[in-house]
Amino acid sequence: MMNEERRAFIKKSGLGVLACLGVASGLIPKFSLEKTVLPAWDEKPVPGKLRWGMLIDTRKCIEGCQQCVAQCHHVHNVPDFNNRKDEVKWIWKSSYNKVFPTASQQFQSEKITGRSYLALCNHCAESPCTRVCPTEATFKRWDGIVAMDYHRCIGCRFCMAACPYGSRSFNWQDPRTAIKNPSLAYPTREQGVVEKCNFCSDRLVKELLPACVEACPQKVMTFGDLNDPKSEIRGLLENNETMQRKPELGTKPSVFYII
Amino acid sequence: MIRKKSMIFIGLTLVLFTSLYVFMQNGMAEKTTQPLAQNLHRSVSVDSTKCIASKEFMRANHMRVLNEWRNSSVREGNRIFIAPNGSKLEKSLNTCLGCHRNNKLFCFNCHMYANVKPGCWNCHISAMETP
Repeated sequence: MMNEERRAFIKKSGLGVLACLGVASGLIPKFSLEKTVLPAWDEKPVPGKLRWGMLIDTRKCIEGCQQCVAQCHHVHNVPDFNNRKDEVKWIWKSSYNKVFPTASQQFQSEKITGRSYLALCNHCAESPCTRVCPTEATFKRWDGIVAMDYHRCIGCRFCMAACPYGSRSFNWQDPRTAIKNPSLAYPTREQGVVEKCNFCSDRLVKELLPACVEACPQKVMTFGDLNDPKSEIRGLLENNETMQRKPELGTKPSVFYII
Repeated sequence: MIRKKSMIFIGLTLVLFTSLYVFMQNGMAEKTTQPLAQNLHRSVSVDSTKCIASKEFMRANHMRVLNEWRNSSVREGNRIFIAPNGSKLEKSLNTCLGCHRNNKLFCFNCHMYANVKPGCWNCHISAMETP
């Protein structure tokens, strides 16, 4: 009799412990088991909290205006060789069929195919360039930016082959000779490295918006955190019909367009 | 019978406490991480009036300091350096140059003497190239 009760008690308490563990594992998310108290600004940023993105309202973009391109290329010391073969570009304008080659082309209205569209690095969530880089010179940052560490680039150009958007340029020549008006706050690149748009990570640390966003007279571009449902960019994405470049590749670009 | 009931109650209170604890943890975690998201891209006002370490230490170890700064700021986003005296500096070559730009030959004299050719100025704009 005594033994029987004891056995029942052990059975029940065992079940109870199991149930408690099950409930706890369901309820306690991983981060509450780890150290979560981070001082606001002298620790490393947490990956995945932020995802910078851009929305380009192409309806407002003025044909022939190059202000964003000029400002970006000045701020980041992008060389201009006056030569298509050696061209280095971070942001540029191109025709509809070049920017959206896989979007509907047949019987598309002349108004839409006739315009030119802004193109820049898409800072893809699933970036092919960072996967092929043998030295991890290009890598996915904590805030969704696909960054370049020019110190590490060996100029193999795998990333250029991998990028489906042509967002990367190679320095075939010494870029210093082709920078007319250098900005002293930002480094140049050297011959033999690949370069591309950095989503103005250099300006973001100073709490400034990207140079192109600021330079645009029409406020065509909206920049913000895609992971924040209350951000301006998410509001615009909610209320407009938008598209990405070559979405079928599954790269999940962070640059969106309103056509 | 009574024991059975008390067992049930003990179990229930246990579950209640664990869930309460978890929710409180969650709430606290959210509170502490929220300002982080806002301050993520904050830089520090660069105080370039003092060197980050003694002359002797910097003479021997500036390359190590710079390498460490480069790796942690570019790759990990840890842009703030806390000097031994407590002052906070931005990990950037521009922080050094804020002061050392005064002497245009500051880097070059010594590197020439020691016959070392670091690649810094292939890309970074040195004091020699600024007006």
